[in-house]
Amino acid sequence: MNLEKIRQDFPLFQKLINGKPPVYFDNACMSLKPLPVIKAINEYYYDYPSCGGRSGHKLGETVTKKVEAARKKIAEFIGAKHVEEIIFTRNTTEGINLVAHTLNLKLEDIILGTDKEHNSNLIPWQILSKKIGVVHKVVPSKPDNTFDLEKFESMMNGQVKLVAMVHTSNLDGVSIPAKEIIKIAHKHGALVLLDAAQSAPHKKIDVTELDVDFLAFSGHKMLGPTGTGVLYGKKHLLENLESFLTGGETVEYSTYSGHKLLPIPEKFEAGLQDYAGIIGLGEAAEYLKKIGYDNIAEQEYKLNKYLTDEILKIPKIKIIGPLDSRLRSGIVSFYVEGIDSHQIAILLDETANIMIRSGQHCVHSWFNAKNIKTSARASLYFYNTMAEAEIFVTSLNKIIKIL
Amino acid sequence: MFCVIALIIFSILGVFSATHRALAGQALDCVFRRVTLRPCNTDFKEKMKNKILAKLLNRSDLAARLFNKHFELLSWVFFVLMITSTFWMVKGGYNFYIYGSCSGLNQSGFCAFDPSGENNKITQLNSAGSCSATQKNENNLTLSGINLSGFPKINTGSKNTIIFIGCYECDYSRKAYPGIRQLAEKEKANLIFAHYPVISNTDYLSDIAYCAYGQNPEKFWALNDYLFTADKTKISDQAFISQALVIFGFNADEINQCVNSAETKTAGQKQFQEIKKTGLYGTPTIFINGQVFVGPKPYRVYRSAIKKFIFF
Repeated sequence: MNLEKIRQDFPLFQKLINGKPPVYFDNACMSLKPLPVIKAINEYYYDYPSCGGRSGHKLGETVTKKVEAARKKIAEFIGAKHVEEIIFTRNTTEGINLVAHTLNLKLEDIILGTDKEHNSNLIPWQILSKKIGVVHKVVPSKPDNTFDLEKFESMMNGQVKLVAMVHTSNLDGVSIPAKEIIKIAHKHGALVLLDAAQSAPHKKIDVTELDVDFLAFSGHKMLGPTGTGVLYGKKHLLENLESFLTGGETVEYSTYSGHKLLPIPEKFEAGLQDYAGIIGLGEAAEYLKKIGYDNIAEQEYKLNKYLTDEILKIPKIKIIGPLDSRLRSGIVSFYVEGIDSHQIAILLDETANIMIRSGQHCVHSWFNAKNIKTSARASLYFYNTMAEAEIFVTSLNKIIKIL
Repeated sequence: MFCVIALIIFSILGVFSATHRALAGQALDCVFRRVTLRPCNTDFKEKMKNKILAKLLNRSDLAARLFNKHFELLSWVFFVLMITSTFWMVKGGYNFYIYGSCSGLNQSGFCAFDPSGENNKITQLNSAGSCSATQKNENNLTLSGINLSGFPKINTGSKNTIIFIGCYECDYSRKAYPGIRQLAEKEKANLIFAHYPVISNTDYLSDIAYCAYGQNPEKFWALNDYLFTADKTKISDQAFISQALVIFGFNADEINQCVNSAETKTAGQKQFQEIKKTGLYGTPTIFINGQVFVGPKPYRVYRSAIKKFIFF
C-alpha cells in the first residue's frame, strides 16, 4: 500500500490549518472523502442532476442506471446474494429504525443487545418497549470489554425474537464474534440485526457467509458521503416486512381508496433519494475494495499498537477495552482520572491540529453504568501515518504533564 | 469571574469583529446563567480556558501548567485588575472631559486621549521662549491679594469672572485665547486680560495694550484679538504694531507718547509685579471663578468651569 499516493486522494491532507498539517484521528465519527467519491458526487450535479426511477429522459435514465450500479457495488461489497437486498437509507440509525418498526414485534418479545450499544441501537428498542412491551435485554461484556459468548448463549431462549448488536463497538473498537452469535441465535429461532456502522469501513463483511438477517451501516464512516446508509436484509425477510416510510416511489399504483406497494427495494425507499450520495457511496465501496481490507487492518493495527504502547507509558491513563490493540480495530479510547477528556481533545486540536473526539460517543449507557464521565477517542484509518501517531503521542504527553 | 471578564473584553472587541460578537453573546449567556444561579451550559469558560492554555503550551510548559493550576485565582486577579483599571479609565475619561487631562486639572501625566499632552503645555517663565509640558504646583497659584483694577476688562458686573494671563507671542496662549474670548462673549462673563511677556522682545506690547485700553476700551479688544492671531514674527516689529493701531482706529502718535511716558512705565511695572504675585509659572494661566487652568484647555473645559459641571 503506497500511503503517500493514497493520501494524495484526500484533499484535507494537502491543506495546512494555522500553518500546520491536520492530524485527523476522528474516523470513527466521520471518515475523509477521497477524490473519486467527490468526483462522482460532483458529476451527478454537473452532468445529470435529475430524477432517477421516474423520468424516462436521457438524464433520468442515467441517474437510474448509476444508482442501480451503486446498489450492485454495495451488494458485492458485503457479499449479498441479491441486489434488491440492498436498501438505501440515510444512515445506520435509519436502517435500525426501519427494522425496529416493521418487524412486527409483539408484547414480551425479547431483543438482546450488548452493553456497548450506540444509542442508535438502543433507543429504538427502548421506545418499542414502552410502546408495545417488548423486552430489551443487555448481554454484559467480560471485564476486558470483550463479548461474553457463554453469557449470551445462556440468555438465549425461544422468547428472544431478535439479536440486535453492534458488530464493532465505536466505544473501544472491539468486535463481537458475529458468526458464532448468529449461529446460536438462529438455533433458537431468533433473527440477527448487526449494527455495522463501525465494522463495514474496517473489515470485510460477507453477509452470506455470516448468514446475518439484517445489517445496517453508514456511508460517511466508510469514505462515502454524509446522509447515506445501507440496510441489508435477507430477501424473504424484507419482502415480509411491513412498509416503513411510505409515499412517492414506493407504490406501483394508488387509487382514492388503496394502493399496491412496489417490491423491494423500492418499497422501502420513499421519496426522492440522495442520488449523488448513493452514487458516491458506490464509489467509496469500490475505493475500499481497491485498498484492500488486509491493508486497512494491517495499517490500523500498526498505528493502534504504537499508540497503545506509548499511551500505556503515561501514568494514570486508562484505555477502554482490551489492552491488546489487535482486538480494538482502529480505536484507542482512553481517559485520565481527574482530567476532563474534552480538555484533552481541545488542547490536542489547539496545539497540534489533532482532531479526536471526546465525550460519551453516543454510548451514554455504558459510561453511566461504569460511572466514567467521558473518554477521549483517537480513531484511525488506513490513510493515517506513523508520523501522525508520533505527533499525537508527543502532544498528548505534553498535555498530560501540564494538566 | 472569567465570564464577566470575557463579556467585557469581547463586547469591546465585538464592536469591530463579528467573531468576537458571537463570543460576547456566549459570555453574556454564561453571566446571565450565573447571575440567575444556574450552571453555565455552553462550556464557554472551558473553551476559552483551553484556547489560552493551548497558546501558552506552544510557548512554555511551565506557564501553561501554572495557568491551568491557578486559573480561578488568575481569573479573580484579572477581574480585580479589570475593575480597578476600568475605574481609572472612567475617571481618566471624566477628567479629560472636565479638565482636559486624564490625571486631573493641570496634571501633565500621560493621557491616552491627549498623548502629546497638548492641553497642559505652557510657555515657561524664564524659558527663553521654549515651550514644554511641565509639572508645577498649581496649588501656589492664587488671586488672593492681587489688584486687578488696572487691567483691561470687559463685561464687568457679571457674576462670572475670567482672568486670562497670556503672552501675545506664545503658542499656547494663542491657542487658549480664542476659546476664552468665545466663552466670555457667550456667557457674558467678566474677562480680565493680563499680558505677561514671557518672551522679552514683546515687553513693549504690555505698554501698548495698557495705553490702547486707556485710549479706547471698546476698540482695545479688537486689537487684542488681532495681536493673538497676527503673524507672531511680526508683532515684535514696532512699525507693524503702529500700523495695526491705525487700522483698528487708535491714535498711534498718542499711544506712542503714552508708551514712552513715565506714568506708563510705572503702571506697567506695577501690573507686572501684580501678575507675578499670582505664583504664575507659565502662560497661559487662566482663572475662571477662582479655578485655575494652566495650559490651553479645550473649550468645553473652560465652559464646564462656568457651568459648574466640575464634581471633584
